[in-house]
Amino acid sequence: MTGAALAAMSDVAVATPLFVDSLLDFLDPGTLASVFVDGLSKAALYVMITAGLTLIFGLMGVLNFAHGSLTMIGAYAGGLVLVVLVSDSTGSVARIGAFFAAVAVVFALLAVAGAGIEMKLVRPLYDRNPLYQILLTFGLTLVLDELVEIIVHFYGIQPTHEWQAAMATKPAFLTATYSLLGLSVVGLDLFEIAFGVLTVVAVWAFLTRTRYGLYIRAGSEDSEMTEALGINVRRAFTVVFGLGVGIAAVAGVLLAWDVTWGASVPLAAETLLPAFVVVIVGGLGTFRGTVAAAIIVGLVDATMTWWFQNVVDFPGLPEMTIFLILVVMLVVRPQGLFGVAEVGGH
Amino acid sequence: MTLLEVDDVHTYYGQSHILEGVSLTVEAGETVALIGRNGVGKTTTLRTILQLTAPRRGSVRIRGEDVTGLGTHDVARRGLGWIPEDRRMFSELSVEENLRIAVKDTDRVGGKLAHAFEVFPDLEQFRDKKAGALSGGQQQMVAIARGLVGDNDLLLVDEPSEGLAPLIVETVAESLRRVSSDTSLLLVEQNFPLAMDLADRFYLLDNGQVVEQGSTDDVSREDEQIRRHLSA
Repeated sequence: MTGAALAAMSDVAVATPLFVDSLLDFLDPGTLASVFVDGLSKAALYVMITAGLTLIFGLMGVLNFAHGSLTMIGAYAGGLVLVVLVSDSTGSVARIGAFFAAVAVVFALLAVAGAGIEMKLVRPLYDRNPLYQILLTFGLTLVLDELVEIIVHFYGIQPTHEWQAAMATKPAFLTATYSLLGLSVVGLDLFEIAFGVLTVVAVWAFLTRTRYGLYIRAGSEDSEMTEALGINVRRAFTVVFGLGVGIAAVAGVLLAWDVTWGASVPLAAETLLPAFVVVIVGGLGTFRGTVAAAIIVGLVDATMTWWFQNVVDFPGLPEMTIFLILVVMLVVRPQGLFGVAEVGGH
Repeated sequence: MTLLEVDDVHTYYGQSHILEGVSLTVEAGETVALIGRNGVGKTTTLRTILQLTAPRRGSVRIRGEDVTGLGTHDVARRGLGWIPEDRRMFSELSVEENLRIAVKDTDRVGGKLAHAFEVFPDLEQFRDKKAGALSGGQQQMVAIARGLVGDNDLLLVDEPSEGLAPLIVETVAESLRRVSSDTSLLLVEQNFPLAMDLADRFYLLDNGQVVEQGSTDDVSREDEQIRRHLSA
Protein backbone atom coordinates (compact mmCIF):
# COMPACT_ATOMS: atom_id res chain seq x y z
CA MET A 1 0.00 0.00 0.00
CA THR A 2 1.39 3.44 -0.96
CA GLY A 3 1.93 6.29 1.47
CA ALA A 4 -0.74 8.39 -0.28
CA ALA A 5 -3.33 5.66 0.11
CA LEU A 6 -2.47 5.30 3.80
CA ALA A 7 -2.79 9.07 4.28
CA ALA A 8 -6.21 9.06 2.55
CA MET A 9 -7.41 6.21 4.78
CA SER A 10 -6.18 8.11 7.80
CA ASP A 11 -8.14 11.23 6.67
CA VAL A 12 -11.30 9.15 6.29
CA ALA A 13 -10.76 7.62 9.71
CA VAL A 14 -10.54 11.11 11.24
CA ALA A 15 -13.43 12.56 9.22
CA THR A 16 -15.93 9.77 9.85
CA PRO A 17 -16.41 10.29 13.61
CA LEU A 18 -16.51 14.06 12.99
CA PHE A 19 -19.30 13.54 10.46
CA VAL A 20 -21.19 11.20 12.81
CA ASP A 21 -20.89 13.73 15.67
CA SER A 22 -22.13 16.53 13.37
CA LEU A 23 -25.00 14.38 12.15
CA LEU A 24 -26.03 13.67 15.74
CA ASP A 25 -25.86 17.43 16.49
CA PHE A 26 -28.00 18.13 13.43
CA LEU A 27 -30.56 15.49 14.41
CA ASP A 28 -30.96 17.02 17.86
CA PRO A 29 -34.65 18.07 18.01
CA GLY A 30 -33.71 21.63 18.99
CA THR A 31 -31.35 22.01 16.01
CA LEU A 32 -33.80 20.40 13.60
CA ALA A 33 -36.61 22.67 14.75
CA SER A 34 -34.47 25.79 14.46
CA VAL A 35 -33.30 24.77 10.95
CA PHE A 36 -36.93 24.10 10.07
CA VAL A 37 -38.04 27.58 11.21
CA ASP A 38 -35.09 29.17 9.38
CA GLY A 39 -36.05 27.17 6.24
CA LEU A 40 -39.66 28.29 6.44
CA SER A 41 -38.66 31.94 6.80
CA LYS A 42 -36.46 31.62 3.71
CA ALA A 43 -39.35 29.86 1.92
CA ALA A 44 -41.67 32.74 2.86
CA LEU A 45 -39.29 35.26 1.31
CA TYR A 46 -38.80 33.11 -1.80
CA VAL A 47 -42.53 32.67 -2.31
CA MET A 48 -43.12 36.42 -2.05
CA ILE A 49 -40.33 37.23 -4.49
CA THR A 50 -41.43 34.52 -6.89
CA ALA A 51 -45.25 34.74 -6.81
CA GLY A 52 -45.32 37.65 -9.26
CA LEU A 53 -42.78 36.05 -11.57
CA THR A 54 -44.95 32.92 -11.74
CA LEU A 55 -48.21 34.79 -12.32
CA ILE A 56 -46.64 36.88 -15.09
CA PHE A 57 -45.13 33.86 -16.83
CA GLY A 58 -48.30 31.78 -16.35
CA LEU A 59 -50.59 34.31 -18.01
CA MET A 60 -48.33 36.08 -20.45
CA GLY A 61 -45.45 33.72 -21.10
CA VAL A 62 -43.07 36.57 -20.24
CA LEU A 63 -39.98 35.66 -18.21
CA ASN A 64 -39.39 38.97 -16.47
CA PHE A 65 -35.65 39.37 -15.92
CA ALA A 66 -36.29 42.78 -14.33
CA HIS A 67 -38.17 41.13 -11.45
CA GLY A 68 -35.15 41.14 -9.12
CA SER A 69 -34.47 44.80 -9.84
CA LEU A 70 -38.05 45.69 -8.99
CA THR A 71 -37.71 43.75 -5.71
CA MET A 72 -34.55 45.74 -5.03
CA ILE A 73 -36.32 49.04 -5.79
CA GLY A 74 -39.08 47.89 -3.41
CA ALA A 75 -36.44 47.38 -0.72
CA TYR A 76 -35.05 50.91 -1.20
CA ALA A 77 -38.48 52.53 -1.49
CA GLY A 78 -39.74 50.69 1.59
CA GLY A 79 -36.55 51.58 3.45
CA LEU A 80 -37.00 55.25 2.54
CA VAL A 81 -40.59 55.28 3.82
CA LEU A 82 -39.48 53.56 7.04
CA VAL A 83 -36.58 55.96 7.56
CA VAL A 84 -38.94 58.93 7.05
CA LEU A 85 -41.66 57.58 9.36
CA VAL A 86 -39.57 56.03 12.13
CA SER A 87 -37.42 57.91 14.62
CA ASP A 88 -35.59 56.80 17.76
CA SER A 89 -38.61 57.64 19.87
CA THR A 90 -41.06 55.64 17.74
CA GLY A 91 -42.56 52.76 19.71
CA SER A 92 -42.69 49.12 18.59
CA VAL A 93 -46.36 49.13 17.60
CA ALA A 94 -45.94 52.38 15.63
CA ARG A 95 -42.92 50.85 13.87
CA ILE A 96 -45.03 47.89 12.73
CA GLY A 97 -47.65 50.42 11.61
CA ALA A 98 -44.94 52.24 9.66
CA PHE A 99 -43.92 48.93 8.07
CA PHE A 100 -47.46 48.29 6.82
CA ALA A 101 -47.68 51.88 5.60
CA ALA A 102 -44.45 51.27 3.68
CA VAL A 103 -45.90 48.03 2.29
CA ALA A 104 -49.03 49.87 1.09
CA VAL A 105 -47.11 52.77 -0.46
CA VAL A 106 -44.52 50.54 -2.15
CA PHE A 107 -47.14 48.10 -3.42
CA ALA A 108 -49.20 50.92 -4.93
CA LEU A 109 -46.21 52.72 -6.50
CA LEU A 110 -44.53 49.64 -7.93
CA ALA A 111 -47.81 48.06 -9.10
CA VAL A 112 -48.51 51.22 -11.12
CA ALA A 113 -44.91 51.21 -12.40
CA GLY A 114 -45.28 47.52 -13.33
CA ALA A 115 -48.53 48.22 -15.19
CA GLY A 116 -46.76 51.06 -17.03
CA ILE A 117 -43.85 48.79 -17.99
CA GLU A 118 -46.28 46.22 -19.36
CA MET A 119 -48.30 48.74 -21.35
CA LYS A 120 -45.45 50.79 -22.79
CA LEU A 121 -42.56 48.35 -23.10
CA VAL A 122 -43.68 44.71 -23.03
CA ARG A 123 -46.99 44.96 -24.91
CA PRO A 124 -45.50 45.94 -28.29
CA LEU A 125 -43.42 42.75 -28.18
CA TYR A 126 -46.16 40.14 -27.57
CA ASP A 127 -46.44 39.18 -31.22
CA ARG A 128 -42.68 38.84 -31.65
CA ASN A 129 -40.19 36.11 -30.83
CA PRO A 130 -39.97 35.58 -27.00
CA LEU A 131 -36.27 36.43 -27.26
CA TYR A 132 -37.28 40.09 -27.65
CA GLN A 133 -39.05 40.01 -24.26
CA ILE A 134 -36.00 38.43 -22.61
CA LEU A 135 -33.71 41.05 -24.15
CA LEU A 136 -36.07 43.86 -23.14
CA THR A 137 -36.47 42.77 -19.50
CA PHE A 138 -32.75 41.98 -19.22
CA GLY A 139 -31.94 45.43 -20.61
CA LEU A 140 -34.44 46.93 -18.20
CA THR A 141 -32.71 45.30 -15.25
CA LEU A 142 -29.37 46.81 -16.31
CA VAL A 143 -30.93 50.26 -16.67
CA LEU A 144 -32.80 50.06 -13.34
CA ASP A 145 -29.76 48.80 -11.44
CA GLU A 146 -27.56 51.58 -12.82
CA LEU A 147 -30.23 54.17 -12.15
CA VAL A 148 -30.57 53.09 -8.51
CA GLU A 149 -26.78 52.96 -8.16
CA ILE A 150 -26.53 56.58 -9.42
CA ILE A 151 -29.32 57.81 -7.14
CA VAL A 152 -27.90 55.99 -4.12
CA HIS A 153 -24.44 57.45 -4.63
CA PHE A 154 -25.73 60.91 -5.57
CA TYR A 155 -27.68 61.20 -2.34
CA GLY A 156 -25.13 59.21 -0.34
CA ILE A 157 -27.86 57.16 1.27
CA GLN A 158 -25.88 53.98 1.26
CA PRO A 159 -22.45 54.43 2.75
CA THR A 160 -22.17 50.72 3.43
CA HIS A 161 -23.10 47.68 1.41
CA GLU A 162 -26.02 46.93 3.70
CA TRP A 163 -28.37 49.80 4.29
CA GLN A 164 -28.22 50.07 8.05
CA ALA A 165 -30.61 53.00 8.34
CA ALA A 166 -33.64 51.03 7.17
CA MET A 167 -32.75 47.96 9.20
CA ALA A 168 -32.52 50.08 12.35
CA THR A 169 -36.21 50.93 12.04
CA LYS A 170 -37.15 47.37 13.02
CA PRO A 171 -39.10 47.12 16.32
CA ALA A 172 -37.22 45.50 19.17
CA PHE A 173 -39.56 42.50 19.42
CA LEU A 174 -38.56 41.40 15.91
CA THR A 175 -34.87 41.38 16.74
CA ALA A 176 -35.40 39.48 20.00
CA THR A 177 -34.97 35.73 20.32
CA TYR A 178 -37.82 33.82 21.89
CA SER A 179 -37.92 30.47 23.59
CA LEU A 180 -40.83 28.58 22.09
CA LEU A 181 -41.49 24.98 23.18
CA GLY A 182 -37.87 24.64 24.12
CA LEU A 183 -36.37 26.12 20.95
CA SER A 184 -34.92 29.51 20.19
CA VAL A 185 -36.70 31.46 17.47
CA VAL A 186 -35.86 34.92 16.13
CA GLY A 187 -38.87 37.24 16.00
CA LEU A 188 -38.20 38.35 12.41
CA ASP A 189 -38.23 34.72 11.20
CA LEU A 190 -41.74 34.27 12.61
CA PHE A 191 -42.83 37.60 11.12
CA GLU A 192 -41.50 36.59 7.70
CA ILE A 193 -43.27 33.22 7.89
CA ALA A 194 -46.56 34.92 8.86
CA PHE A 195 -46.15 37.44 6.04
CA GLY A 196 -45.36 34.68 3.55
CA VAL A 197 -48.43 32.70 4.60
CA LEU A 198 -50.54 35.86 4.30
CA THR A 199 -49.19 36.45 0.78
CA VAL A 200 -49.91 32.87 -0.31
CA VAL A 201 -53.45 32.99 1.11
CA ALA A 202 -54.13 36.39 -0.49
CA VAL A 203 -52.86 35.32 -3.94
CA TRP A 204 -54.66 31.98 -3.71
CA ALA A 205 -57.92 33.69 -2.70
CA PHE A 206 -57.53 36.23 -5.52
CA LEU A 207 -56.99 33.47 -8.08
CA THR A 208 -59.73 31.12 -6.91
CA ARG A 209 -62.35 33.32 -5.28
CA THR A 210 -62.58 36.36 -7.55
CA ARG A 211 -63.90 36.77 -11.06
CA TYR A 212 -60.65 38.41 -12.13
CA GLY A 213 -58.76 35.39 -10.78
CA LEU A 214 -60.98 33.20 -12.97
CA TYR A 215 -60.05 35.32 -16.00
CA ILE A 216 -56.38 34.93 -15.15
CA ARG A 217 -56.57 31.14 -14.73
CA ALA A 218 -58.53 30.84 -17.99
CA GLY A 219 -56.22 33.25 -19.81
CA SER A 220 -53.19 31.25 -18.65
CA GLU A 221 -54.62 28.19 -20.40
CA ASP A 222 -56.01 29.77 -23.58
CA SER A 223 -55.90 33.54 -23.96
CA GLU A 224 -57.54 33.49 -27.42
CA MET A 225 -60.59 31.55 -26.18
CA THR A 226 -60.80 33.80 -23.11
CA GLU A 227 -60.80 36.86 -25.37
CA ALA A 228 -63.55 35.29 -27.50
CA LEU A 229 -65.73 35.09 -24.37
CA GLY A 230 -65.70 38.89 -24.18
CA ILE A 231 -62.87 39.25 -21.68
CA ASN A 232 -60.20 41.86 -22.25
CA VAL A 233 -57.15 39.66 -21.79
CA ARG A 234 -54.71 42.49 -22.51
CA ARG A 235 -56.14 44.38 -19.54
CA ALA A 236 -55.70 41.24 -17.42
CA PHE A 237 -52.05 41.17 -18.60
CA THR A 238 -51.60 44.72 -17.30
CA VAL A 239 -53.27 43.94 -13.97
CA VAL A 240 -51.21 40.77 -13.46
CA PHE A 241 -47.94 42.49 -14.38
CA GLY A 242 -48.75 45.29 -11.93
CA LEU A 243 -49.76 42.85 -9.18
CA GLY A 244 -46.70 40.68 -9.76
CA VAL A 245 -44.34 43.63 -9.54
CA GLY A 246 -46.22 44.97 -6.50
CA ILE A 247 -45.86 41.66 -4.61
CA ALA A 248 -42.14 41.46 -5.46
CA ALA A 249 -41.68 45.01 -4.22
CA VAL A 250 -43.47 44.16 -0.95
CA ALA A 251 -41.00 41.29 -0.54
CA GLY A 252 -38.31 43.92 -1.00
CA VAL A 253 -39.72 45.96 1.92
CA LEU A 254 -39.39 42.89 4.13
CA LEU A 255 -35.87 42.24 2.86
CA ALA A 256 -34.87 45.79 3.86
CA TRP A 257 -35.42 44.67 7.47
CA ASP A 258 -33.57 41.36 7.16
CA VAL A 259 -29.89 41.52 8.10
CA THR A 260 -28.99 38.67 5.72
CA TRP A 261 -30.33 40.65 2.75
CA GLY A 262 -30.78 44.42 3.31
CA ALA A 263 -31.34 47.05 0.62
CA SER A 264 -28.51 47.08 -1.87
CA VAL A 265 -28.12 47.17 -5.64
CA PRO A 266 -26.77 43.57 -5.80
CA LEU A 267 -30.04 42.51 -4.14
CA ALA A 268 -31.50 42.49 -7.68
CA ALA A 269 -29.34 39.56 -8.77
CA GLU A 270 -29.37 37.94 -5.32
CA THR A 271 -33.17 37.65 -5.43
CA LEU A 272 -33.58 36.98 -9.16
CA LEU A 273 -31.43 33.84 -9.23
CA PRO A 274 -33.18 31.93 -6.41
CA ALA A 275 -36.51 33.15 -7.79
CA PHE A 276 -35.74 31.52 -11.14
CA VAL A 277 -34.72 28.33 -9.32
CA VAL A 278 -38.04 28.29 -7.43
CA VAL A 279 -40.07 28.99 -10.58
CA ILE A 280 -38.33 26.25 -12.57
CA VAL A 281 -38.39 23.67 -9.76
CA GLY A 282 -42.10 24.34 -9.15
CA GLY A 283 -42.99 24.26 -12.83
CA LEU A 284 -43.21 27.40 -14.95
CA GLY A 285 -46.40 29.32 -14.35
CA THR A 286 -47.97 27.20 -11.58
CA PHE A 287 -48.63 28.98 -8.30
CA ARG A 288 -48.97 25.81 -6.18
CA GLY A 289 -45.70 24.59 -7.73
CA THR A 290 -44.07 27.86 -6.71
CA VAL A 291 -45.27 27.47 -3.11
CA ALA A 292 -44.07 23.84 -2.93
CA ALA A 293 -40.72 24.68 -4.56
CA ALA A 294 -40.18 27.67 -2.27
CA ILE A 295 -40.64 25.41 0.77
CA ILE A 296 -38.26 22.77 -0.63
CA VAL A 297 -35.61 25.33 -1.64
CA GLY A 298 -35.98 27.18 1.68
CA LEU A 299 -35.57 24.01 3.76
CA VAL A 300 -32.62 22.72 1.72
CA ASP A 301 -31.01 26.16 1.88
CA ALA A 302 -31.42 26.29 5.68
CA THR A 303 -30.13 22.72 6.11
CA MET A 304 -27.03 23.34 3.99
CA THR A 305 -26.44 26.67 5.69
CA TRP A 306 -26.33 24.85 9.05
CA TRP A 307 -23.90 22.23 7.72
CA PHE A 308 -21.60 24.69 5.98
CA GLN A 309 -21.55 27.08 8.93
CA ASN A 310 -21.22 24.52 11.73
CA VAL A 311 -19.30 21.64 10.18
CA VAL A 312 -17.47 22.59 7.00
CA ASP A 313 -16.94 26.25 7.91
CA PHE A 314 -17.54 27.51 4.38
CA PRO A 315 -20.46 29.96 4.73
CA GLY A 316 -20.49 30.99 1.05
CA LEU A 317 -21.19 27.51 -0.25
CA PRO A 318 -24.87 26.93 0.72
CA GLU A 319 -26.03 29.19 -2.11
CA MET A 320 -24.60 26.67 -4.52
CA THR A 321 -26.87 23.93 -3.22
CA ILE A 322 -30.06 25.59 -4.44
CA PHE A 323 -28.59 25.64 -7.93
CA LEU A 324 -27.82 21.93 -7.51
CA ILE A 325 -31.54 21.41 -6.86
CA LEU A 326 -32.17 23.20 -10.16
CA VAL A 327 -29.72 20.98 -12.04
CA VAL A 328 -31.17 17.79 -10.53
CA MET A 329 -34.72 18.93 -11.35
CA LEU A 330 -33.82 19.82 -14.95
CA VAL A 331 -32.32 16.34 -15.42
CA VAL A 332 -34.98 14.31 -13.59
CA ARG A 333 -38.16 16.32 -14.26
CA PRO A 334 -37.55 19.25 -16.63
CA GLN A 335 -41.16 20.45 -16.45
CA GLY A 336 -40.83 20.98 -12.67
CA LEU A 337 -42.97 19.62 -9.84
CA PHE A 338 -46.35 20.77 -11.15
CA GLY A 339 -45.51 21.81 -14.71
CA VAL A 340 -46.82 20.11 -17.83
CA ALA A 341 -44.29 18.36 -20.08
CA GLU A 342 -44.02 19.80 -23.59
CA VAL A 343 -44.92 17.30 -26.26
CA GLY A 344 -42.26 17.00 -28.91
CA GLY A 345 -39.81 19.21 -27.06
CA HIS A 346 -36.10 18.57 -27.30
CA MET B 1 -83.07 42.18 -38.91
CA THR B 2 -79.63 41.41 -40.29
CA LEU B 3 -77.45 40.32 -37.38
CA LEU B 4 -74.23 39.74 -39.25
CA GLU B 5 -72.93 41.07 -42.54
CA VAL B 6 -69.60 39.93 -43.87
CA ASP B 7 -68.79 42.05 -46.91
CA ASP B 8 -66.06 41.15 -49.38
CA VAL B 9 -63.47 40.14 -46.78
CA HIS B 10 -59.93 39.25 -47.78
CA THR B 11 -57.91 37.49 -45.08
CA TYR B 12 -54.32 36.37 -45.23
CA TYR B 13 -52.02 34.14 -43.18
CA GLY B 14 -48.66 35.72 -43.90
CA GLN B 15 -48.48 35.81 -47.71
CA SER B 16 -51.21 33.18 -48.18
CA HIS B 17 -54.45 34.67 -49.43
CA ILE B 18 -57.06 32.53 -47.62
CA LEU B 19 -60.36 34.40 -48.00
CA GLU B 20 -60.75 36.02 -51.41
CA GLY B 21 -63.76 38.27 -51.07
CA VAL B 22 -66.19 36.28 -48.91
CA SER B 23 -69.59 37.88 -48.34
CA LEU B 24 -72.42 36.42 -46.28
CA THR B 25 -75.26 37.45 -43.99
CA VAL B 26 -77.09 35.94 -41.03
CA GLU B 27 -80.55 37.18 -40.11
CA ALA B 28 -81.97 37.14 -36.58
CA GLY B 29 -83.40 33.73 -35.69
CA GLU B 30 -81.69 32.00 -38.59
CA THR B 31 -79.34 29.02 -38.73
CA VAL B 32 -76.89 29.34 -41.61
CA ALA B 33 -74.50 26.61 -42.64
CA LEU B 34 -71.06 27.28 -44.08
CA ILE B 35 -69.98 24.17 -45.91
CA GLY B 36 -66.97 23.15 -47.95
CA ARG B 37 -64.16 20.66 -47.91
CA ASN B 38 -61.10 20.91 -45.69
CA GLY B 39 -58.89 23.98 -46.08
CA VAL B 40 -61.24 26.20 -48.11
CA GLY B 41 -61.45 28.92 -45.42
CA LYS B 42 -64.48 28.01 -43.27
CA THR B 43 -62.69 28.31 -39.93
CA THR B 44 -60.82 31.39 -41.18
CA THR B 45 -64.18 32.99 -41.95
CA LEU B 46 -65.27 32.50 -38.33
CA ARG B 47 -61.90 33.78 -37.06
CA THR B 48 -62.24 36.81 -39.33
CA ILE B 49 -65.74 37.58 -38.02
CA LEU B 50 -64.38 37.46 -34.45
CA GLN B 51 -61.34 39.55 -35.50
CA LEU B 52 -59.04 36.82 -34.20
CA THR B 53 -57.52 37.06 -37.65
CA ALA B 54 -58.20 40.55 -38.92
CA PRO B 55 -59.07 40.95 -42.62
CA ARG B 56 -56.86 43.12 -44.82
CA ARG B 57 -59.86 44.24 -46.86
CA GLY B 58 -63.63 44.16 -46.51
CA SER B 59 -65.79 44.65 -43.46
CA VAL B 60 -67.69 42.79 -40.74
CA ARG B 61 -70.83 44.43 -39.37
CA ILE B 62 -72.95 43.37 -36.41
CA ARG B 63 -76.48 44.84 -36.47
CA GLY B 64 -75.14 47.38 -38.96
CA GLU B 65 -72.19 48.45 -36.80
CA ASP B 66 -68.78 48.03 -38.40
CA VAL B 67 -66.63 45.94 -36.02
CA THR B 68 -63.68 45.49 -38.39
CA GLY B 69 -60.45 46.13 -36.52
CA LEU B 70 -61.98 45.99 -33.04
CA GLY B 71 -60.54 43.70 -30.38
CA THR B 72 -62.02 40.20 -30.22
CA HIS B 73 -63.44 40.85 -26.74
CA ASP B 74 -65.24 43.93 -28.07
CA VAL B 75 -66.76 41.88 -30.89
CA ALA B 76 -67.78 39.13 -28.44
CA ARG B 77 -69.35 41.77 -26.17
CA ARG B 78 -71.67 42.68 -29.05
CA GLY B 79 -73.41 39.31 -28.71
CA LEU B 80 -71.18 36.90 -30.62
CA GLY B 81 -70.26 33.53 -29.16
CA TRP B 82 -67.76 31.01 -30.48
CA ILE B 83 -67.86 27.22 -30.19
CA PRO B 84 -64.51 26.33 -31.74
CA GLU B 85 -63.57 23.23 -33.68
CA ASP B 86 -61.57 21.53 -30.92
CA ARG B 87 -63.93 22.83 -28.18
CA ARG B 88 -61.05 24.52 -26.35
CA MET B 89 -62.19 23.80 -22.83
CA PHE B 90 -60.28 25.40 -20.00
CA SER B 91 -59.18 21.96 -18.90
CA GLU B 92 -57.91 23.02 -15.45
CA LEU B 93 -61.18 24.80 -14.63
CA SER B 94 -64.28 22.98 -13.44
CA VAL B 95 -67.33 22.65 -15.67
CA GLU B 96 -69.08 25.30 -13.58
CA GLU B 97 -66.12 27.69 -13.91
CA ASN B 98 -66.07 27.09 -17.68
CA LEU B 99 -69.69 28.25 -17.78
CA ARG B 100 -69.32 30.99 -15.17
CA ILE B 101 -66.56 32.74 -17.12
CA ALA B 102 -68.77 32.89 -20.22
CA VAL B 103 -71.59 34.81 -18.49
CA LYS B 104 -71.20 38.38 -19.67
CA ASP B 105 -73.75 39.90 -17.31
CA THR B 106 -72.06 39.27 -13.95
CA ASP B 107 -75.24 40.10 -12.00
CA ARG B 108 -77.05 37.13 -13.53
CA VAL B 109 -74.49 34.34 -13.09
CA GLY B 110 -76.73 32.18 -10.85
CA GLY B 111 -79.72 32.36 -13.17
CA LYS B 112 -77.64 31.69 -16.25
CA LEU B 113 -76.01 28.62 -14.71
CA ALA B 114 -79.41 27.30 -13.60
CA HIS B 115 -80.70 27.76 -17.17
CA ALA B 116 -77.67 25.95 -18.62
CA PHE B 117 -78.16 22.97 -16.30
CA GLU B 118 -81.85 22.96 -17.16
CA VAL B 119 -81.09 22.76 -20.89
CA PHE B 120 -78.21 20.31 -20.36
CA PRO B 121 -79.25 18.32 -17.25
CA ASP B 122 -76.46 15.75 -17.77
CA LEU B 123 -73.86 18.44 -17.11
CA GLU B 124 -75.00 19.16 -13.56
CA GLN B 125 -73.46 15.95 -12.19
CA PHE B 126 -70.08 17.09 -13.57
CA ARG B 127 -70.28 20.71 -12.44
CA ASP B 128 -67.33 20.41 -10.01
CA LYS B 129 -65.27 18.12 -12.25
CA LYS B 130 -62.35 19.51 -14.25
CA ALA B 131 -63.42 20.02 -17.86
CA GLY B 132 -60.24 18.33 -19.09
CA ALA B 133 -61.40 15.07 -17.50
CA LEU B 134 -64.63 14.92 -19.56
CA SER B 135 -65.18 12.85 -22.70
CA GLY B 136 -65.28 14.52 -26.14
CA GLY B 137 -69.07 14.45 -26.23
CA GLN B 138 -69.40 15.89 -22.74
CA GLN B 139 -66.90 18.62 -23.61
CA GLN B 140 -68.94 19.49 -26.70
CA MET B 141 -71.99 19.87 -24.45
CA VAL B 142 -70.05 22.21 -22.16
CA ALA B 143 -68.86 24.19 -25.20
CA ILE B 144 -72.45 24.61 -26.43
CA ALA B 145 -73.66 25.47 -22.92
CA ARG B 146 -70.86 28.05 -22.72
CA GLY B 147 -72.28 29.65 -25.86
CA LEU B 148 -75.76 29.52 -24.37
CA VAL B 149 -74.97 31.30 -21.07
CA GLY B 150 -73.13 34.15 -22.81
CA ASP B 151 -76.31 36.02 -23.81
CA ASN B 152 -75.25 35.70 -27.42
CA ASP B 153 -77.46 36.67 -30.32
CA LEU B 154 -75.29 34.70 -32.72
CA LEU B 155 -73.19 31.61 -32.13
CA LEU B 156 -70.35 30.73 -34.49
CA VAL B 157 -70.21 26.93 -34.31
CA ASP B 158 -67.20 25.21 -35.86
CA GLU B 159 -67.40 21.50 -36.76
CA PRO B 160 -69.50 20.42 -33.75
CA SER B 161 -69.68 16.80 -34.92
CA GLU B 162 -65.98 16.33 -35.58
CA GLY B 163 -64.41 13.35 -33.82
CA LEU B 164 -67.64 12.27 -32.14
CA ALA B 165 -69.39 8.87 -32.31
CA PRO B 166 -72.64 8.87 -34.40
CA LEU B 167 -74.82 8.51 -31.31
CA ILE B 168 -73.15 11.49 -29.67
CA VAL B 169 -73.46 13.50 -32.90
CA GLU B 170 -77.23 13.08 -32.71
CA THR B 171 -77.22 14.38 -29.10
CA VAL B 172 -75.09 17.35 -30.12
CA ALA B 173 -77.43 18.08 -33.04
CA GLU B 174 -80.39 17.99 -30.69
CA SER B 175 -78.61 20.43 -28.35
CA LEU B 176 -77.94 22.81 -31.23
CA ARG B 177 -81.60 22.63 -32.25
CA ARG B 178 -82.59 23.61 -28.70
CA VAL B 179 -80.09 26.47 -28.62
CA SER B 180 -81.17 27.69 -32.07
CA SER B 181 -84.66 28.41 -30.75
CA ASP B 182 -83.19 31.42 -28.88
CA THR B 183 -80.02 32.17 -30.82
CA SER B 184 -78.95 32.50 -34.44
CA LEU B 185 -76.28 30.07 -35.57
CA LEU B 186 -73.56 30.26 -38.20
CA LEU B 187 -72.59 26.63 -38.46
CA VAL B 188 -69.42 25.32 -40.08
CA GLU B 189 -69.94 21.63 -40.73
CA GLN B 190 -68.43 19.04 -43.06
CA ASN B 191 -71.20 16.57 -42.29
CA PHE B 192 -73.40 17.68 -45.20
CA PRO B 193 -76.65 15.89 -44.18
CA LEU B 194 -76.30 17.25 -40.62
CA ALA B 195 -75.67 20.78 -41.89
CA MET B 196 -78.67 20.60 -44.22
CA ASP B 197 -80.79 19.20 -41.40
CA LEU B 198 -79.96 22.02 -38.97
CA ALA B 199 -79.70 25.04 -41.26
CA ASP B 200 -82.22 27.28 -42.99
CA ARG B 201 -79.71 28.55 -45.55
CA PHE B 202 -76.24 27.58 -46.64
CA TYR B 203 -73.10 29.03 -48.22
CA LEU B 204 -70.71 26.76 -50.08
CA LEU B 205 -67.08 27.83 -49.90
CA ASP B 206 -64.33 26.80 -52.27
CA ASN B 207 -60.80 28.21 -52.43
CA GLY B 208 -61.73 31.11 -50.19
CA GLN B 209 -64.77 32.16 -52.21
CA VAL B 210 -68.51 31.59 -51.91
CA VAL B 211 -69.37 29.47 -54.94
CA GLU B 212 -72.98 28.67 -54.14
CA GLN B 213 -75.66 29.73 -51.68
CA GLY B 214 -79.34 29.25 -51.09
CA SER B 215 -82.07 27.77 -48.97
CA THR B 216 -81.48 24.27 -47.64
CA ASP B 217 -85.06 23.43 -48.67
CA ASP B 218 -84.08 23.89 -52.30
CA VAL B 219 -81.10 21.61 -52.24
CA SER B 220 -81.11 17.85 -52.42
CA ARG B 221 -78.81 15.90 -50.15
CA GLU B 222 -77.72 14.12 -53.29
CA ASP B 223 -76.94 17.37 -55.15
CA GLU B 224 -74.10 16.37 -57.43
CA GLN B 225 -72.48 19.79 -57.71
CA ILE B 226 -72.34 20.29 -53.94
CA ARG B 227 -71.12 16.74 -53.32
CA ARG B 228 -68.37 17.37 -55.90
CA HIS B 229 -67.24 20.50 -54.03
CA LEU B 230 -67.30 18.71 -50.68
CA SER B 231 -65.39 15.65 -51.82
CA ALA B 232 -62.86 17.22 -54.18
